[in-house]
Amino acid sequence: MIDEMLQALLRALSFGTPLLLACLGTLVNERAGVVNLGVEGMMALGALTAFSVATETESLWLAVALSLVAGALAALLHGFVTLTLRANAYVSGLALTMLGLGVSGLLGNRYEGAILLEPAPELPFTVAAGVLAVGLWAFLYATRPGLVLRSVGENPAAADVLGVSVGGVRYLAVAFGGALAGLAGAFLSLAYRPAWTDGMTAGLGWIAVALVIFVGWSPLRAVLGSLFFGLLYYLQFRLQDQSRVPTELFAAMPYLLVVGVLALAGLRRTQGSAPAALGKPYHRGER
Amino acid sequence: MKSPALWLVLLALSLAGSARAEDAKLKACFVYVGPVGDIGWSHAHDEARKLTMKALPWLETQYVESVPEGQALPVIDRLVKGGCQVVFTTSFGFMDQTLEAARKYPKVVFAHATGFKRAPNMATYMADFYQIYYLNGLMAGALTKTGKVGYVGAFPIPELKRHISAFAMGVRAVNPQATVNVKWISAWVSPVKAREAAEALMAEGNDVLAFTEDTATVVQVAGRKKVPSFAHYSPMQRFAPDFVVSGQLVHWEKIYIDFLSKVRNGTYAPGKLQEVDYWWLLREGAVEMGGQPGVPINPKFVDALKKAQMTVGGKQVSVHDRVQELLKDMSSSKPGFDPFTGPLQDRHGATRVPAGKTLTKEELNQMQWVAPGVTGPVADEPK
Repeated sequence: MIDEMLQALLRALSFGTPLLLACLGTLVNERAGVVNLGVEGMMALGALTAFSVATETESLWLAVALSLVAGALAALLHGFVTLTLRANAYVSGLALTMLGLGVSGLLGNRYEGAILLEPAPELPFTVAAGVLAVGLWAFLYATRPGLVLRSVGENPAAADVLGVSVGGVRYLAVAFGGALAGLAGAFLSLAYRPAWTDGMTAGLGWIAVALVIFVGWSPLRAVLGSLFFGLLYYLQFRLQDQSRVPTELFAAMPYLLVVGVLALAGLRRTQGSAPAALGKPYHRGER
Repeated sequence: MKSPALWLVLLALSLAGSARAEDAKLKACFVYVGPVGDIGWSHAHDEARKLTMKALPWLETQYVESVPEGQALPVIDRLVKGGCQVVFTTSFGFMDQTLEAARKYPKVVFAHATGFKRAPNMATYMADFYQIYYLNGLMAGALTKTGKVGYVGAFPIPELKRHISAFAMGVRAVNPQATVNVKWISAWVSPVKAREAAEALMAEGNDVLAFTEDTATVVQVAGRKKVPSFAHYSPMQRFAPDFVVSGQLVHWEKIYIDFLSKVRNGTYAPGKLQEVDYWWLLREGAVEMGGQPGVPINPKFVDALKKAQMTVGGKQVSVHDRVQELLKDMSSSKPGFDPFTGPLQDRHGATRVPAGKTLTKEELNQMQWVAPGVTGPVADEPK
């Protein structure tokens, strides 16, 4: 029994790692008021970048570093389209997902079926994700830049009056979110399943997006949330034919929980803990 | 030859000749359900397409990858408009839409892989692995110490039920108490799901793994935990050189070359395909046993398989010899052994194949029951 639980916890930790990384990134850019539904695409780009760099240079460090850059660059594209060109952020995010999946499939063609002979260990990624979660919590709630970031997501007009560059903060936050999505992708292709297959992100980005809402934009709860979602994911296979509960329910659970959380927030007639200006473009002089 | 008229005639003739050569190109198009790089199903079809191109100089091909199962028709529309004379659709889920397309374009030749519906201009074809799954099952049965063999399945369609059953019958022929425990991932390509399913199986004590889905994840995950596994579809031994025991390899090009050559010479044409149903096995060379070409059994496992004994017709033989003997038999022009020969019961005890009967390919193609020893939920199973 103890063994079983330990095993399940280990799986939750492993599967929860990319979820936590992508969730923390998304959480930061949403804290700054920007919605980015491109997580899945950025993750795919990060995964391909990491895999191709690791294959060509045999340097895992470089692979990880460039996956951060790839994710950030993709996110900056989203930033440019939504913050500078003022296009609809939801449409832009969806486009980024499709673009990321398409581009990674196309450019990844030459690595199809390739294996990483010296895969990265999973543990450093997991530890980094945990440390990052605590660090982000401290950053958001105990530092001045963290306060600035939150104020941009809550009340950009007020922040602007106080001399904060709303656009600048949002660009930074979006780039950070993209970098972490890229890192989540790197975890997948370097450690979790050290091989390249088109479509290897398999919807994880979307679970991360849902997870952000579920954990109420809190980095610490994100740790628990990603463990919980990771556990559910594992259990859908572990409990197949072993419980009366249909395992499809476990697969659908992340989404059902998010719907539940949103419905509860709606019932309480609040936005839940969503940043007040989330998804609302800010243009100086317009109200 | 001084007359310019003669030159003109010669020129005209040569142009006509080359124009005829152009016309004579046959354009065959392929609709794949997965990405060509899935190193599983679609990849194998695409490798076969390339080999067929090499073998048939008059052939021109085109393919569309990652076509969702509900969206074959618009893709076929586009391909036919683009001049495809032969269209191969390579997923079970494309069956009805291929039939619809065959009715819509009566002059185009269609061939659908893994299905059972045909039309005057639509053939069916399959390179099937059930014999090899049985042989892999024998080896899995010999190698499992816990008596639990894990199996990651994509979807509970007849093809997988047939393969899992053949595999389980092989396992039980060596180890009558063993079980084949199936986890479904409801996806052809999802390394993430395949990994967690494999992890769950290992957590439950399964010490040998096999699978039917389109990635090498199971082999790779099992190899990391030093668990022996069987590859599926593509050469996957390199993913875990010390732990891939054997597996199945496909040679779709054998079918494609034969089929297209017969289209070319007029044997197959619209109106003549109602009865054309390829069901190619070891005998035709459409499939091969092994985790990489030319290596039916990984040498690392030969000793263990030679030591393992099983009873065949009251005599003790080594599993290794039995596998080799059956492989030779089933690869011969007149195979004497078929795993689906009665008396066979399903896992609920109902007789499915009476003594002395062997399942026909139609029955195998529509198989909904699974063999004893298979555990796990199986959808559409007759009670």
